[in-house]
Amino acid sequence: MKEIVIISGKGGTGKTSITASFAMLGGKDIVVADCDVDAADMHLLMQPDWERSEDFYSGVIAEIDQEKCIKCGKCADVCRFNAIPIIDEKYVVNTLNCEGCSYCFHVCPADAISMNEQNVGEWYISNTKADNVMVHARLGIGAENSGKLVAKVKNEAKRIADETDKQFIVVDGSPGIGCPVVSSLSGADFVVLVTEPTVSGLHDLKRVYELVKKFNIPAGCIINKADLNTKVAQQVEKFLKKEKITYIADLPYDETFTKAMTKGQTIVEYDDTNLKNIVVNSWEKIKEHTNKI
Amino acid sequence: MKIAFTTKGIEWNSMMDPRFGRTEFIALYDEEKDELTNVDNRSIESVAHGAGPQTAQKLFDLKPDVLITGNGPGGNAGRVLAQANLKIFIGAGNMTVKEAYDAYKKGELKNSK
Repeated sequence: MKEIVIISGKGGTGKTSITASFAMLGGKDIVVADCDVDAADMHLLMQPDWERSEDFYSGVIAEIDQEKCIKCGKCADVCRFNAIPIIDEKYVVNTLNCEGCSYCFHVCPADAISMNEQNVGEWYISNTKADNVMVHARLGIGAENSGKLVAKVKNEAKRIADETDKQFIVVDGSPGIGCPVVSSLSGADFVVLVTEPTVSGLHDLKRVYELVKKFNIPAGCIINKADLNTKVAQQVEKFLKKEKITYIADLPYDETFTKAMTKGQTIVEYDDTNLKNIVVNSWEKIKEHTNKI
Repeated sequence: MKIAFTTKGIEWNSMMDPRFGRTEFIALYDEEKDELTNVDNRSIESVAHGAGPQTAQKLFDLKPDVLITGNGPGGNAGRVLAQANLKIFIGAGNMTVKEAYDAYKKGELKNSK
């Protein structure tokens, strides 16, 4: 069983549209993991049945026991996040502002503050329209993705892939270069970078590739909307050559992607022309490269 | 020589864990004593952020001469480990601990910079 992780660095490059297409093409040979949990949207294209769900707990936030509180205000004084306002003459924790640092918990002379694990969302195991299993998650308002949640989603996907003897896990990775991305990449066999020919697209590609290099994972790149700016597209290609990243494909800018999306479909279901061919060929190339590892 | 492995179990035939920060166990083989011990790292599952540096700290305390792992530590853990006089070998993510040790002995594993 091999693990393919798709990341982009920059948002809006088309990573999830492309990942969902691979998830369709992979069909019953794969398990899908959506680790882009901050703004999980792959379910819109994969139409999962949300078969099993479980609460997810992460991080702590402060809670003040009003019976014990002596209203000294020390907690509010030390809070760097202004998370303890006075409401109706009571010190209360603003749960959206609390970062869980526990400073207030330690300074409270009345032991009125407890730090409690919070339920930040749910994770799911679903069957999708592509005849495969998808592990995904949804976060509550103001909750943040973490390496912990990504590790959870990936571990479940791995367990299912092992038990059902699947060939690949296809992971929609998290954006940026922080903790969730590190967790997305950890243990991967092949990385697919989806980029676009814009200054920020190239900048973020370089930034996230630094991370991929640290993990010594072989990578390939798809340049989406490649015809939007041919000059930057050439710079991207130059970068790929320099870093020995496998060039997988160019995709043109095409609003068919959006049309498919509004119908809740991936491009490989909606389109029957050139776009579909490029995506199908890309998937074949990725499988070939991953199997060589 | 003391050799540390990131593993999913505590036996020679346990699988390696390709992950560094979120590895389930750190197995430690003391070549002189011919003894395989381990540190349970599974509590890392409940750590939301910063798994890499925390595992690096645990490893630091074990004072191994060599670390054998899968992908290799990321940036933050790498900076912690750079303080230790430690050789890191990678690419053993899909092996058993025994296979990883043999591959290391034969010089088949890649040295991480």
